Amino acid sequence: MPPPAASSRYPSPSQPSGKSEVTDLKSQLRQLAGSRAPGVDDSKRDLFKKVISYMTIGIDVSSVFGEMVMCSATSDIVLKKMCYLYVGNYAKGNPDLSLLTINFLQRDCKDEDPMIRGLALRSLCSLRVPNLVEYLLGPLGSGLKDNNSYVRTIAVTGVLKLYHISASTCIDAEFPATLKSLMLHDSDAQVVANCLAALQEIWSLEASHSEEACREKESLLSKPLIYYFLNRIKEFNEWAQCLILELAVKYVPSDSNDIFDIMNLLEDRLQHANGAVVLATVKVFLQLTLSMTDVHQQVCAIVSVYERIKSPLLTLVSSGSPEQSYAILSHLHLLVVRAPFIFASDYKHFYCQYNEPSYVKKLKLEMLTAIANESNTYEIVTELCEYAANVDIEIARESIRAVGKIALQQYDVNAIVDRLLQFLEMEKDYVTAETLVLVKDLLRKHPQWSHDCISVVGGISSKNIQEPKAKAALIWMLGEYAQDMSDAPYILENLIENWEEEHSAEVRLHLLTAAMKCFFKRAPETQKALGIALAAGIADFHQDVHDRALFYYRVLQYDVHVAESVVSPPQQAVSAFADTQSSEIKDRIFDEFNSLSVIYQKPSYMFTDKEHRGPFEFSEELGSTSITPEVSSDIVPAQQFEANDKDLLLSTDEKDDNKGLSSNNCSAYTAPYESSNISSQMQELAISGPAASATTTQSSFDFDDLLGLGLSAAPAPTPSPPLLKLNPRASLDPRAFQQKWRQLPISLTQEYSVNPQGIAALTVPQSLIKHMQSHSIHCIASGGQSPNFKFFFFAQKEAEPSDYLTECIINSSSAKAQIKVKADDQSTSQAFATVFETALSKFGMP
Amino acid sequence: MPVAASAIYFLNLRGDVLINRTYRDDVGGNMVDAFRTHIMQTKELGNCPVRQIGGCSFVYMRISNVYIVIVVSSNANVACAFKFVVEAVALFKSYFGGAFDEDAIRNNFVLIYELLDEIMDFGYPQNLSPEILKLYITQEGVRSPFSSKPKDKPVPNATLQVTGAVGWRREGLSYKKNEVFLDIVESVNLLMSSKGNVLRCDVTGKVLMKCFLSGMPDLKLGLNDKIGLEKESEMKSRPAKSGKTIELDDVTFHQCVNLTRFNSEKTVSFVPPDGEFELMKYRITEGVNLPFRVLPTINELGRTRMEVNVKVKSVFGAKMFALGVVVKIPVPKQTAKTNFQVTTGRAKYNPSIDCLVWKIRKFPGQTESTLSAEIELISTMGEKKSWTRPPIQMEFQVNLLLLLTLLNRSRLLKVIVSLTISASCYFQVPMFTASGLRVRFLKVWEKSGYNTVEWVRYITKAGSYEIRC
Repeated sequence: MPPPAASSRYPSPSQPSGKSEVTDLKSQLRQLAGSRAPGVDDSKRDLFKKVISYMTIGIDVSSVFGEMVMCSATSDIVLKKMCYLYVGNYAKGNPDLSLLTINFLQRDCKDEDPMIRGLALRSLCSLRVPNLVEYLLGPLGSGLKDNNSYVRTIAVTGVLKLYHISASTCIDAEFPATLKSLMLHDSDAQVVANCLAALQEIWSLEASHSEEACREKESLLSKPLIYYFLNRIKEFNEWAQCLILELAVKYVPSDSNDIFDIMNLLEDRLQHANGAVVLATVKVFLQLTLSMTDVHQQVCAIVSVYERIKSPLLTLVSSGSPEQSYAILSHLHLLVVRAPFIFASDYKHFYCQYNEPSYVKKLKLEMLTAIANESNTYEIVTELCEYAANVDIEIARESIRAVGKIALQQYDVNAIVDRLLQFLEMEKDYVTAETLVLVKDLLRKHPQWSHDCISVVGGISSKNIQEPKAKAALIWMLGEYAQDMSDAPYILENLIENWEEEHSAEVRLHLLTAAMKCFFKRAPETQKALGIALAAGIADFHQDVHDRALFYYRVLQYDVHVAESVVSPPQQAVSAFADTQSSEIKDRIFDEFNSLSVIYQKPSYMFTDKEHRGPFEFSEELGSTSITPEVSSDIVPAQQFEANDKDLLLSTDEKDDNKGLSSNNCSAYTAPYESSNISSQMQELAISGPAASATTTQSSFDFDDLLGLGLSAAPAPTPSPPLLKLNPRASLDPRAFQQKWRQLPISLTQEYSVNPQGIAALTVPQSLIKHMQSHSIHCIASGGQSPNFKFFFFAQKEAEPSDYLTECIINSSSAKAQIKVKADDQSTSQAFATVFETALSKFGMP
Repeated sequence: MPVAASAIYFLNLRGDVLINRTYRDDVGGNMVDAFRTHIMQTKELGNCPVRQIGGCSFVYMRISNVYIVIVVSSNANVACAFKFVVEAVALFKSYFGGAFDEDAIRNNFVLIYELLDEIMDFGYPQNLSPEILKLYITQEGVRSPFSSKPKDKPVPNATLQVTGAVGWRREGLSYKKNEVFLDIVESVNLLMSSKGNVLRCDVTGKVLMKCFLSGMPDLKLGLNDKIGLEKESEMKSRPAKSGKTIELDDVTFHQCVNLTRFNSEKTVSFVPPDGEFELMKYRITEGVNLPFRVLPTINELGRTRMEVNVKVKSVFGAKMFALGVVVKIPVPKQTAKTNFQVTTGRAKYNPSIDCLVWKIRKFPGQTESTLSAEIELISTMGEKKSWTRPPIQMEFQVNLLLLLTLLNRSRLLKVIVSLTISASCYFQVPMFTASGLRVRFLKVWEKSGYNTVEWVRYITKAGSYEIRC
């Protein structure tokens, strides 16, 4: 990017040195104010220009307000405009001084020149000073009746402005009714369009508290009115056409004749040069077909509508600026997800051009993925393979992912698999990394390809892979297909030996699991590695790794066969990967076609409503919504887990939990251990010797000793014991929670900041839930999406059944957590908040 | 609501505010700061033209060295917002008479404020048509047109709407010489694989007009497109003339074109605006004639040497020329030295874009030209990665100018001047444009029955012309 031109080249708007310039201006303006000398307008213009340019760059020039007003007595229209602009900008901050301007604005509103009348009226309404509202009524009233349409256009918008300053004044003056009659009878299209815009806005805002407005809002959608607009649509300019089409979308047609009438009426709008009009028309068509009752007819109509709108949309993609293409492509993507067939034969339109910005390329890749079918897959994949060598690494990755997605969704994947595997031979680390992840997913869905894939994957040196996700994928494959890869145990062993250097918890988790799987298949070669892995895992400072290692260890001790059935069950193909968006949300987005929702890929309430911004479903009225038993069972996995699997797994001793939050869970346990169950191989495990000695009864023992590996570090940080003891096994059913939440008053509201590690860990909200649970604070429900998360926690006092209910809203972008506490025993809620805060502050900390 | 923009900002590349117009109160004053810190100063810039910060959405576009940012607080119509920006820029350009950049904005900021006031009111787009705005916002801007002509106050909207909805044309225009200039401008987009297969090829065309006609003329344009010709022969009940017909994939028209008539009779008839405008846009994917063939061979000889050989063949009419041909041949970043020979034109190595840039000012049809180069590379340590070859890109323009005149009311096509093209060229190699589209007739009807001179120019340009190697 070249450096921008120096601003010193521009004399007029150059940076002023400071206040002195403004004072200077002030005195100069004052001199000119009274002067009637010829040429004074020119010098005024220069001064005004200076003032406006200061205003633009953000220098406060409100101090010359008085002088500006004094100078405003002029017949020069440009001077007037500059003055109006200035006044409009600063009136709000100077309500008293604004009173000065009322006079000359009101006078100008009666000027014989319609231009001046219009301008003055517009500025008058833009003052935005509530206590001057009374002065607006007169000029607005006469403006609406003005015989010049320019003035009327402005007056109509003025009414809307008035409504935003003071709704009651506007309603009391019965302006909406006047607008309605203007809308129906005015000869000027722009006046009509502005009336429509203003009325739509006023009535939808009023509708929430006035039944009449509700009715009026409905009446805008009545059949005669819709036809009145649609029949005249050609008289309106392109922007007003958008407005009308947007109104037509909401119209519910009475029968199918009605639908076809409207479609015929609007068909030629698809040929309009303005893309916004075309897109708005497309929306009308789509909504109309959705409202059809006859299913057969509807299917036919949808197909023909898609056929009809296809080529205008494709034209819009390839013409215009990349930003416009981006907006259109987002919509095409929405359509294509619903009906992949429509663009199946036009796939070439979505080939990327070298110079396109990456946001367009990304959408095009998504399109190519979505429209791939039997007939075009070969060409599309060939093209995508070209992009894999792209200079832009992000796009290269995206295209590999796209190939993978196609491979996953297609029935015949053979040729694609071959090409995916070819990526591995390109020997670029990011390509390899991306491909490994895909091959892993592919094998999960289509295990039959394992033979082909494994032979290639086996040849990859794990040293060349740095990215955690890719490494994890490779390790998963090593574990899963250990029997097919001759050196799998040795690769794993190598990786395990470098345990300390592995920074990603995900990789370490996979290492543990892979070592286990490998052990079940090729025990003699793996046992040593597994021993080291388990030891390292148990000593790991990451909670999940630690827990998993410990769990594996115990389950091995209990019964190797059980362990195998738990860790390495017979392979089952995944039939479908979870979709990230529910179909309900997708429908909502579709209803909001041609708006930001499509771009953001979320329904508007998620980003416009203040209450909903971020978390959804869980508003204050907890009771009315959705704490269902399923939710809670998802969210308290550990408890469920224990309950269901008691017969399989070692149960953790009550005592261990009672020791409180501080002591590590592993320090004591019960082991219903029968040595006869242990296979001879297990006996040979490096860890088994010392373990066996400890098996007879439960007792605390030190893992350092047990493993004999000389691990010296303390396994986990020990938080200082909190003042309040909480019951780690607290239980509360969701119904009771809702009831309590409704009954209890908020006893405490606080805001904490969350440490950056915590925010980072919050990418998986479940981790917070687990973390809090380790502090005996249980989650009952959660929701939200980045950056806003909402959790409902509860906790119980250890000694007595006294509950604490907490709502915790975490904003990950501002790193703030806001909590509301409700408690049975209000006196201790502060103590609870402290516990909560301590727990929260440790979140994400190693 | 289509846009309801809360504010519009013009910023330069450093983030300095050039223009700042707030339409609604629902956004705070520090929106520019938000844009600067969250978009301009991060990688986000250029990653996505729509971004949400806080409760507001920023819809922005870069035009030359200026960012135009629209801030909306509701669920706005994005396509409309972008189109508004594009149209507004076109309007500003027609006022400045040329470039739209930082300098132009600084020099005209009062005018821009004036225009912003008119083209959008309280966030709703109003009238953006330059023809009408120029009636009452003049660059001199000294006097109001109303005060100067107190007699007939041609308040644009009112009169125009009353007098039969020709919102784009003033009445009472008069020219000494009635002339029409019609440009068919086609951009050829090509994507060719390294094996020489055409992966994607299409033409996006525009019909641009410049009219200097008196009164209220009615124009009728006939093209050799398939649907139009079929319809015509059907109506005159005689078989369609043999010859090449063009199938248009999609057509959009300027608002002046009577779409009902287009749909029923398939003719393009319209009352044109005065001056310059874009009459129609079309897209063609079938039967595109590529003006150039590019045959590259690139050999990597070991790690430090490369041989590049590019042959460019022109396949259009022998008597036409392409102008300003530029072929950009990519070379690796670590290029140390280049040696090349070209049969025509001049080439040089441009390290800032890692390309050999080969320029040929004038490229006749049916010829070919070769560049052969030897490239030495700096051998870098551990450079295992092979070079990812970007495509060869090409720019060119093929022009053809014709004078379509009506003599004695009989249609006769006469070629007068046009880059040394003789009439025979037209009859023998009718390759005016990449798509083969041509103007069959352009009729002008006016009450007074004056004679007009019609100029037709065919321009074929390279859109994105990429050949992988």
